[in-house]
Amino acid sequence: MDRECVSLLPRVCEVLAASGSSLPDDTSLEKLLDWFTGLTKAGTSLLESCPCLLEFISTVVHNTALDPSILSFTLRLTGFVAVTEVAFKVLQESSVLDLVFNLQHWQEAGLWEDPCIRIGWIQGLRTMMQHPKALSFFVQADFLQPLLQLQTDKSLFVASAANQMLAHVLLSCQSVSSVGSNDVDEEGEDVGRSGGSIADLEYSAVTVETNQDYAAVVTAISECLKKSLVPRENTQLHQSLQILKLLALLLAQTRPPLWEKLLQMVADSVDELLVAGYSQLILPLMDVILAAYSSCDVNRRAPDQRVSRLLSFMLNIRKPADLIQAAAAFLRRGLHDLVHTAQSARVLLLPLDIITGLNLLTTTADEQRFLMMEQLKNKTSCISLICVCLTNTPQMTLMAADCLPCPPVLIVTAVLSLLKLCSGDSSSPSSSSSGCREVSRNVIGSSKVQKCALDALTALSGSPGVEVKLAEVFTLLVQCLDNPDSDPTVLQKSFQALVQWMSVCSDLSSITDQHRQDLLQVVRKRSCDIRWEVRDSTVEFLGRLAGVRVIQTTAEEASDASVAVLGGCCFTTPLLRAALQDTESYVRASAISALAQTLAASWQQGAALTQEQTEIVNQLLEVLSWDTEGFARRAVVRYFIAWLSSMSSHSCVQSPASSSLLMPSVRSVLSRGSADLDWEVKVHTLELAELLLDEAFSGQRGYTKGNPTQTHPYAVIPNTLHTRTHNEEDVVGVLNSLVQWGVVSALLSGLVDCDRPVALRACRLLITLREVVCPLSLGALDATAAMATVARVTCELPGCGWAREIRKMLVMKAKDANAEGGVSGGEVVNCDDCGEAGQEAASVGGQTPCVSVCEVLRSLDLDERLDVLTRSSDHVHNSPLSLLQDILTASSARSQPDTQQEVIADCY
Amino acid sequence: NMPEINVTPLGAGQDVGRSCILVSIGGKNIMLDCGMHMGYNDDRRFPDFSYITQNGRLTDFLDCVIISHFHLDHCGALPYMSEMVGYDGPIYMTHPTKAICPILLEDFRKITVDKKGETNFFTSQMIKDCMKKVVPLNLHQTVQVDDELEIKAYYAGHVLGAAMVHIKVGSESVVYTVSVNKYAKSHISAWIDKCRPDILISESTYATTIRDSKRCRERDFLKKVHETIERGGKVLIPVFALGRAQELCILLETFWERMNLKAPIYFSTGLTEKANHYYKLFITWTNQKIRKTFVQRNMFEFKHIKAFDRSYADNPGPMVVFATPGMLHAGQSLQIFKKWAGNEKNMVIMPGYCVQGTIGHKILNGQRKLEMEGRATLDVKLQVEYMSFSAHADAKGIMQLIRMAEPRNMLLVHGEAVKMEFLKGKIEQEFSIDCYMPANGETATVTTNPSVPVDISLNLLKREMALGGPLPDPKKPRTMHGTLIMKENSLKLVSSEQALKELGLNEHQLRFTCRVQLQDPHSDPDTLHRIYTHLKSVLKGYTIQHLPDGTVMVESIVIKVSSSAEDTNAKVLLLSWSYQGGEYFFTALCIVKRLMYQ
Repeated sequence: MDRECVSLLPRVCEVLAASGSSLPDDTSLEKLLDWFTGLTKAGTSLLESCPCLLEFISTVVHNTALDPSILSFTLRLTGFVAVTEVAFKVLQESSVLDLVFNLQHWQEAGLWEDPCIRIGWIQGLRTMMQHPKALSFFVQADFLQPLLQLQTDKSLFVASAANQMLAHVLLSCQSVSSVGSNDVDEEGEDVGRSGGSIADLEYSAVTVETNQDYAAVVTAISECLKKSLVPRENTQLHQSLQILKLLALLLAQTRPPLWEKLLQMVADSVDELLVAGYSQLILPLMDVILAAYSSCDVNRRAPDQRVSRLLSFMLNIRKPADLIQAAAAFLRRGLHDLVHTAQSARVLLLPLDIITGLNLLTTTADEQRFLMMEQLKNKTSCISLICVCLTNTPQMTLMAADCLPCPPVLIVTAVLSLLKLCSGDSSSPSSSSSGCREVSRNVIGSSKVQKCALDALTALSGSPGVEVKLAEVFTLLVQCLDNPDSDPTVLQKSFQALVQWMSVCSDLSSITDQHRQDLLQVVRKRSCDIRWEVRDSTVEFLGRLAGVRVIQTTAEEASDASVAVLGGCCFTTPLLRAALQDTESYVRASAISALAQTLAASWQQGAALTQEQTEIVNQLLEVLSWDTEGFARRAVVRYFIAWLSSMSSHSCVQSPASSSLLMPSVRSVLSRGSADLDWEVKVHTLELAELLLDEAFSGQRGYTKGNPTQTHPYAVIPNTLHTRTHNEEDVVGVLNSLVQWGVVSALLSGLVDCDRPVALRACRLLITLREVVCPLSLGALDATAAMATVARVTCELPGCGWAREIRKMLVMKAKDANAEGGVSGGEVVNCDDCGEAGQEAASVGGQTPCVSVCEVLRSLDLDERLDVLTRSSDHVHNSPLSLLQDILTASSARSQPDTQQEVIADCY
Repeated sequence: NMPEINVTPLGAGQDVGRSCILVSIGGKNIMLDCGMHMGYNDDRRFPDFSYITQNGRLTDFLDCVIISHFHLDHCGALPYMSEMVGYDGPIYMTHPTKAICPILLEDFRKITVDKKGETNFFTSQMIKDCMKKVVPLNLHQTVQVDDELEIKAYYAGHVLGAAMVHIKVGSESVVYTVSVNKYAKSHISAWIDKCRPDILISESTYATTIRDSKRCRERDFLKKVHETIERGGKVLIPVFALGRAQELCILLETFWERMNLKAPIYFSTGLTEKANHYYKLFITWTNQKIRKTFVQRNMFEFKHIKAFDRSYADNPGPMVVFATPGMLHAGQSLQIFKKWAGNEKNMVIMPGYCVQGTIGHKILNGQRKLEMEGRATLDVKLQVEYMSFSAHADAKGIMQLIRMAEPRNMLLVHGEAVKMEFLKGKIEQEFSIDCYMPANGETATVTTNPSVPVDISLNLLKREMALGGPLPDPKKPRTMHGTLIMKENSLKLVSSEQALKELGLNEHQLRFTCRVQLQDPHSDPDTLHRIYTHLKSVLKGYTIQHLPDGTVMVESIVIKVSSSAEDTNAKVLLLSWSYQGGEYFFTALCIVKRLMYQ
């Protein structure tokens, strides 16, 4: 624990106890508790380290006039303090504990009405309940009743916390009782404390008496569950709901015999509840049944018969909406139960069967079909039911074949015909009966159903045997894309589905020329849609398509989908180039990324540069210089990263022509990108610089690709890295070219950037560079001697911006070194005068001063800098110490109201 | 069961944190705002959606999300919700908010990435994908979210693009608004209709404050900047990329022009141009003053404000610099602050609120020695000024809004509990309506009048029209007479004749009778005549007849007089009326009684 913090704490406690209004802002108390949580987790005893807390708690608890937030904080703090048995005893002996958690005390003060007091009370108790003493305290103080009441609290947060607490109590009781029976305990996940959790209890600690207490608690809770589960009137549904939530928590976590006991206690009530058929309770009920069911599954016990019966009951409810919910909940669990899985699948497919008129289910009970049909006639419930069914279809198709009433292909057909219905196409088989027609009218134009169906369709691409549907899917998606009524999200999802189907199916032999023509037309149309969202999705689609490898029958060779269905660059490139002029920067950025994706293949094949590509590069450099928005500029840098990395990974086929364009462009990207105003452009530019470093030094001894700090000092360096011998001449040549490309300036300018991610990346790369050209491990003199030639490589430090910062740092370093009388600090800046005035003069006079790269690298204290940069930028001001100081300052500012203006918490 | 509207704040309930308010109305669930809290670095910065996603997807639960304005505490969690938690449904905001939101979200992402260990955070692609789900709203245009739910946006004027929203399902409605500032009233398309919502949900940030006029604050701001420049100092104004920054720029630009000042003004963020572009694009949304000046010359092509280069900070002489981020978290504003803090001639002006854990917060608190990285300390000698340009309404503004919209209930959010309590008292006293202020996680429930759709026969309507009076108007309810038939789950209002016909029933007449005893020495016919003349004089406009059979008729009420055989002075007044005459009966009876006692 930080000594400074501890020394400030007593004063902070005084301030808080004196007046609650001195808080810097609404997060302060939460952050203070975060600190205490951290300390407790680290095994610190709060009472030992901060004895002032005891006095604080007892002062505050008597002063009910304080701000409720302070009181709530104190309740929670008490929990942390009393987490060890020793501290608990101290608190109890000083009778603080009784008062803190005394409900009457808060009620009499009129504070119980405030939800923050109630939640503080629950959380404080919850934190403390890590040892049997606390549990005994809980039992003796008879907190169970109020806790059960809080379960139905009007505050969502309080009710949920109370439920969690009740579960915790019961599980604690289970652990304590099980110690006696020498059972293995798996619980105790909580705030893993030093002070011995209940699980660590010594056998002897549990007396017969306490055991009886716990048994009483268990009985009381289960009695209450049993009693309150079935609502006596509609207004009590909320209570049943809460009880069900608690029950689900418990049945998932308890073990026999408690599990058995609980189940036995509530089984009848659950039955009763099922028969009563409250729709609002269906999902929570299903959760309870499934929790019990999975608990058998997990513990490899045979499913309990009562539970199986309840489950079967749920999957046979009459009310269609409830039935669908129950079936979906069952499938979501992914349990291995063939009978119920098959049944759930049938339930979920019924609405699709009805609405599409396809025979997905060979047989269904007439009554069930009739009820479902009636339900589907209501538009709102039709849409919501269909959406639930659709969401579950992909999972269904992956189930064992004998669970599915129909092959996955038929499900795809159903989704397709549903999509047709949505767009008003009634040519599907559903028009057979008037009921179906009435139902199918409900989904016409519903974008909610469309989105859901498209998501399902995308996921269904991976189902077994559905490839045969590719042509049909293709046709339908193109129709969706062409539909003037489709909303932008529907169009986006259609594009995504198309890409997904093509990438999964890969064999495009079923795609006809007509298909291609239709797609071309619709892409052309959507690329100039009035809505930017649509244009952007279209452009993104073009890019993604280029990344999909497919096989065509005509040419057995694999190609990318863009070539296969759109004819490749001759179609896409003009569209994308046009999109570079888009008014919306998002679209411009997507167009640039898409261009990189479509051209990737030609880069990799080392194809000769076309006139068009040269024009594109010029256009992109223009964008980098002139585009007013960051997104497009970021994309330009990424374009060059993609190009450069594809060239270096396929260096054997590198065409000299493309190199001749690439390298000069990279140079201008480096210089423009590192002077950009957007931090991400700068980060990407450094990524580009990193690629150049990799390229230049790959195999060079001392060069570790990527992050130097991540390499373990004793890591075995792969042999491949030693293939090139350490040749000083090579290094000089490489370093010279790095300087010429502008890599070194880009790194140096990044180092002094005000945005931490930029500076951090630059710093790491500079260290990497230093380690390869002039490692610090060589002493200064050795280094000078050993690398006399390398040291001659210089770079320019112009008079403005970042270079001035670097110069200042060098001057400071030199001064420090001289002051220390050290030998390492020689002249690093080889202009006559290191002083600022001299530098200014040098630049003004047109002479840009040059410095030795090696000396700069060795003088910049990069390691210290890295240390600071790898920390959070707010590590000083968002620390516990800073928080404590802020609380103290706020309080003293408040005591002199004249000097300060009131700062009101406000929007930002 | 009476229908009810439930409002549950997940954020902004009795606090000024991240706004996120759930409303369920007529079976629809709507999320109002989806903000983040800058004071936290973990999941607590976002609303806890697990309370509404249990057992399902957010898309299944929510019918739509509505964002009131671009401030991060109102929209900052949107990409998290839509792209990370998962929500595919519609998100509504005005055109300017949709344009500006991504700028601020990017700005915020930068601050977050700048800190260490930021995982579980949205990417630029997520921001874009989220914005693609946004459906832009036009002012005063009713948008049909689905068959039942409709929303309509009104100008709010808090910041560029801020809107009030009227949400309606059937006959139930809710209005949600950020605090409306005074400019709203002078705006072209200003102010909300007298829409009488069931609940008006309003922010109450400045609920107890009567604020100086904005002009006062502006004058003060210019004065302070000017003084600093005059004495050769530098002024740093930390801002977020968009919002206050542009308005302050305009102020300074105009002032520099007027005073013919030469000191340079710089704007340090790369996003300026885009921001200015949006101010230009949405000029009709800005306040009157900006618009007026804009007509005179193009406000956004600044003559005096130039882009900032990091080396300028070291230049000698006075200057004004706008730099991001706004709370001196990190980045450029902090870098400049560190350079200038040591000189007492300089000044930093904080134009907005700063959360704890930032340098902005510390200096506003009055700290003058700041601990910096590596145990270094920074002496803050420069002058620190706080000037809130927040465009929230004070209590007066909120009261005015209530007067305009005439809500049946009021609900306060986005304010401190104590201040809300004060305003609540005032509202309940002045308007006699219930005012709610639920804490986060608490639900305020308001029951509404059930709306029962009834078909009405055309004949009945025509007859009502024939009776005269104004044409039907949904805002002015009128009484109608007819017979309500409930048949096969439907309700129909028809004339009684038609009802009899349809149901195949005969008409029965009910007559009610009443005896009144009184003492009167006159003969029976005389008594009757006296009654007749009196009624005639008092009940003007009624048909009153003295019939030859010895009865008086007032409309359909029949009055007869008889005396007992034993005592001729003791008269018995016999009254008889049909059910239609009920409403006149009591009037007539009172008059007769009064007459008898005279």
